[in-house]
Amino acid sequence: MLAWHLLWRNWRSGEIKLLAVALALAVTVVSAIALFTDRLEGTLLEQSNSLLGADRLVKSNQAHKKEWEVQAERDDVSYSRVAHFSSMIFAGDEMHLAAVKAVANNYPLRGYIDVSTTPFATDPALIERAQGVPAPGEIWVDSRLLPLLHIELGESLQVGEHELVATKVVVSEPDGSGPFSMMGARIIMNWEDLAKTRVIQPGSRVEYQWLLAGSSSDMNAFMSWLEPQLSDHDEVMDIENAQRRLQGTLQTGRRFLVLAAIMGVLLAGVAIALAARQFAERHVNQVALLKSLGTSSQRIRQLYLVQLLLLATVASLLGLAVGAGLQALIAQIVHNIYQVTMAKATITPFILSLLSGPLALVGFALPSLWFLPKVPPIKVLRQELSVSKGAVGWQIAMASLVLVILVGVFGRDLTLGVTVLAALAVVGVLTGGMAFGLLAVGKKAGAQAGSRWRLAWASIQRRRGASVLQVVVFATAIMLLLTLTIVRTSLIEEWQVKVPENAPNHFLINVAPSEVDDFKQLLADDELKVEPLFPMVRGRLTHIDGEPKPEDTLNREASLTWTGELSEDNEVVAGQWWDTWQRSQLPGVSVEHEVAERLGIELGSQLTFSIGGLIAQAEVASFRSLQWESLRPNFYFIFEPGALDDYAPMYMTSVYLPPEKKQFINTLLTRYPTIVVLELDRIINQIRDIVAQVSDGVGLVLLMVLLGGCLVLIAAVTGSIDARKQEAGLLRALGAPRRLLVGSIWIEFALLGFCAGFIAVVASEALLLGLQVYVFRVPVQPHYFYWLATPIAGALFVSSLGAISCRHSVTTPPATVLREAL
Amino acid sequence: MAYMIQATELGKTVTTSAGDLTILKDINLRVVKGESLAITGASGSGKSTLLGLLAGLDVPSAGGVELAEIALNSLDEEGRAKVRADHVGFVFQSFQLLPGLTALENVMLPLELRGDRDAHDQASQYLQRVGLGERLSHYPPQLSGGEQQRVAIARAFACKPDILFADEPTGNLDSTTGHTINDLLFELNAEMGTTLVLITHEERLANRCARQVQLAAGELMISGSAAVE
Ligand SMILES: Nc1ncnc2c1ncn2[C@@H]1O[C@H](COP(=O)(O)OP(=O)(O)OP(=O)(O)O)[C@@H](O)[C@H]1O
Ligand SMILES: [Mg+2]
Repeated sequence: MLAWHLLWRNWRSGEIKLLAVALALAVTVVSAIALFTDRLEGTLLEQSNSLLGADRLVKSNQAHKKEWEVQAERDDVSYSRVAHFSSMIFAGDEMHLAAVKAVANNYPLRGYIDVSTTPFATDPALIERAQGVPAPGEIWVDSRLLPLLHIELGESLQVGEHELVATKVVVSEPDGSGPFSMMGARIIMNWEDLAKTRVIQPGSRVEYQWLLAGSSSDMNAFMSWLEPQLSDHDEVMDIENAQRRLQGTLQTGRRFLVLAAIMGVLLAGVAIALAARQFAERHVNQVALLKSLGTSSQRIRQLYLVQLLLLATVASLLGLAVGAGLQALIAQIVHNIYQVTMAKATITPFILSLLSGPLALVGFALPSLWFLPKVPPIKVLRQELSVSKGAVGWQIAMASLVLVILVGVFGRDLTLGVTVLAALAVVGVLTGGMAFGLLAVGKKAGAQAGSRWRLAWASIQRRRGASVLQVVVFATAIMLLLTLTIVRTSLIEEWQVKVPENAPNHFLINVAPSEVDDFKQLLADDELKVEPLFPMVRGRLTHIDGEPKPEDTLNREASLTWTGELSEDNEVVAGQWWDTWQRSQLPGVSVEHEVAERLGIELGSQLTFSIGGLIAQAEVASFRSLQWESLRPNFYFIFEPGALDDYAPMYMTSVYLPPEKKQFINTLLTRYPTIVVLELDRIINQIRDIVAQVSDGVGLVLLMVLLGGCLVLIAAVTGSIDARKQEAGLLRALGAPRRLLVGSIWIEFALLGFCAGFIAVVASEALLLGLQVYVFRVPVQPHYFYWLATPIAGALFVSSLGAISCRHSVTTPPATVLREAL
Repeated sequence: MAYMIQATELGKTVTTSAGDLTILKDINLRVVKGESLAITGASGSGKSTLLGLLAGLDVPSAGGVELAEIALNSLDEEGRAKVRADHVGFVFQSFQLLPGLTALENVMLPLELRGDRDAHDQASQYLQRVGLGERLSHYPPQLSGGEQQRVAIARAFACKPDILFADEPTGNLDSTTGHTINDLLFELNAEMGTTLVLITHEERLANRCARQVQLAAGELMISGSAAVE
């Protein structure tokens, strides 16, 4: 109760406002980033799952069993179903062999169907997100079906023995590249109409898909129940491959956001520490007085702790509200620009954000306040008594500890946290040393300068300790901002390199060996850029060194290939490529290094594959890293040339088709009906969208960090305001013109800002080196522009800030100043 | 007879960079309940140091102090705080008001710390008594020096202390203002039967006390009539 009163009085007198704002800012940064990354991850998962329309699906030539549904409900897994088949569609005299998809009412479980009432619509305003599926009696169709059948929307067409009305055109749908999609225009109809069409007869070619969705733990529980029930005809599909393609991008984006969060929190933390220090200084006398009034140290400690906890709670709630608001705003902007609806946040980031307030207080504020209750009561009688403020080392240790906890728990990336912290420690020492050195040199130079300069230098020298502290703080803030800006720019460039403009956007699969030469010729005639053709057989890894392979990884058929030449985005990370590899008996195989690690495969391991019932063995010759983002054909397993010749391979490749050459697919498919085309444009567009989302998020984060930086600067300057006021009052009382005082303040802060900017640029190059080499693995390059710009910008920015913060100290009438000082 | 303050063989030595410095030595002093004592002496003679020791704000290097019949030497800092809370009030040369609190809140503070329920009423009553009834919600920087010292006096008496320690209460004030402040101090003192220990360099003020002692180079010289020792 009393603590509430005291808190309110402290708030009113402004002593605690900066501390509160700094705390709220720390929580804002943490909550905005935590919520945003949480939602981003959820969105990415949803988006990649929307490729399937589900988290998993069981595909089969038979409908799923009823009892599976009972177990699914028990395990909290939701399900839906789809039947794919091709059927002749009639409208008057016209007919077309279409790829039909009959869907249950709750389709899709993940992702959306986008539809339009305007055929071939591309304008987002004309496209809407479908609520549900076609009603019974209705049908949604591919735009190109309309001209093929010479009909318009609203007219009816015949599917089997049933008449259905085409009400909408489908713009995009999950699993757009369904098994029959390349054969004809796509159609979506309601499952309830399926029986009436009577197209499905015994022996018809139908693919049934049983779609599943649920939390990953529920899903795992259910799948372990389901798998033993499955027959040879059933195949489980997940989106591992699609996800892997997105993961690289996501990982880098996440790391960057975490990095930004660390820096944001660090900046806010420095502001908190400075504000707390200032608070403590102002409260030394108060504590001495309280003690003379007979308050025990313990009571004082308790009074201040309760006040701070109350403050932390209020500031945390406020920060959480602001952070949640900010990230909601960004999500809305992302939604408006990219038509991507972000997933809902889970509860974890909320809890984390609320905890971060008190945690930041303990780490950053408490150490500078700890000495307060130990102020001796005799201080009331002897004002000149100096009070020890506790060791700085201890404060840094506490702050680092809290930072590591925050980063570890919230960023789930301890390595990154520790890397940055280590870099910052080095940077801190460097900065401190340089700041001292620069000031020492300045002492000589300053004595010869004109009077405004002399006054400025005198002020810096007089507050030598504070000046050095300010340079350190300014430099740290500028360095963090600079590093973040540069990392952001280089990451975005890197992403753009990773998804180049003319990246392959179609996979062509199932080219028969006899067709290969002809096929190549056809592509060459159309002047299309083609990746090498890869032979491909489907096979399942069964044993490693004679032992059954671990059950939790790679439980499906993988594509196996062989090639003599490594494509450009593959890199051998261990072992030998074929040109240097010594074959013993078995043929060699090169394995993707991450899957090798998960499976516990080593160089020289003997792998056994089952290929269409036959057994193939190979010895591991090398590990490769590859870039899934490249959208070229990529393989976990690449064999030595010729090693799989006996297994009737089909060939595959990828090709870039510009939009205007899209009809090439028709030419291709008429000539080779068995070739399967996978349209990757959609995945590519998704990656683009996601990159855009991530960099938007990054922009927001940068803004908040900037805010933190300003706060730190303000905190650093206001610390010296009281003393400045007194001096300025004295000087003005002695007749110094205000012009002189204002000028000297500008010069003083410009000098500090210039030093800070220079130190910041050196330090940030060092930090960048570490980050680019160890964390982001992007090329290192010097940033000449910033070497020039940063010190100048530092001088300008810090001097304006200083001048604004100090304006009262020169404008208040000297009489007031002298009186307040009493 | 019960002494409110009893100092025996009191000494204070501090270690400085220039070696040990003896500020006080062999001080023997007794003050009975309700008595008023003036401590005078040149600047730097150790008056404030002595006051700090007598009030239990600091610990002596030799000898001991009994305050309200409690031996301070046997207590730790927390124990001494308790004794101060129960028995002692202060008035300082530099007023020591908290600038962020209004006059009323400054007076309320010690009462609130004690947990008094009617802190607000008591405090405004005392401010009324020192003639500041109209200025309850003013902040210290908005008050003149004399007014600030009145607030400090109200704060000291609001706790109804047994002993009031005053270190040059009018040292920062002009003589006219100082006069009225002193009148107020003595009036309240008489009204409440408080034991008063007053440091001053003004002879006139010292003479208003029942007894005077003088410090010279850390040693006590008895002056005035009532030598007890
Ligand atoms: N902790 C300390 N360390 C060093 N010197 C001290 C300490 N405490 C007191 N002194 C010195 O002891 C002497 C007496 O100080 P004290 O404040 O008691 O004098 P005073 O009589 O109150 O003087 P004034 O009338 O100026 O207030 C001074 O010279 C002071 O500098
Ligand atoms: Mg003194």
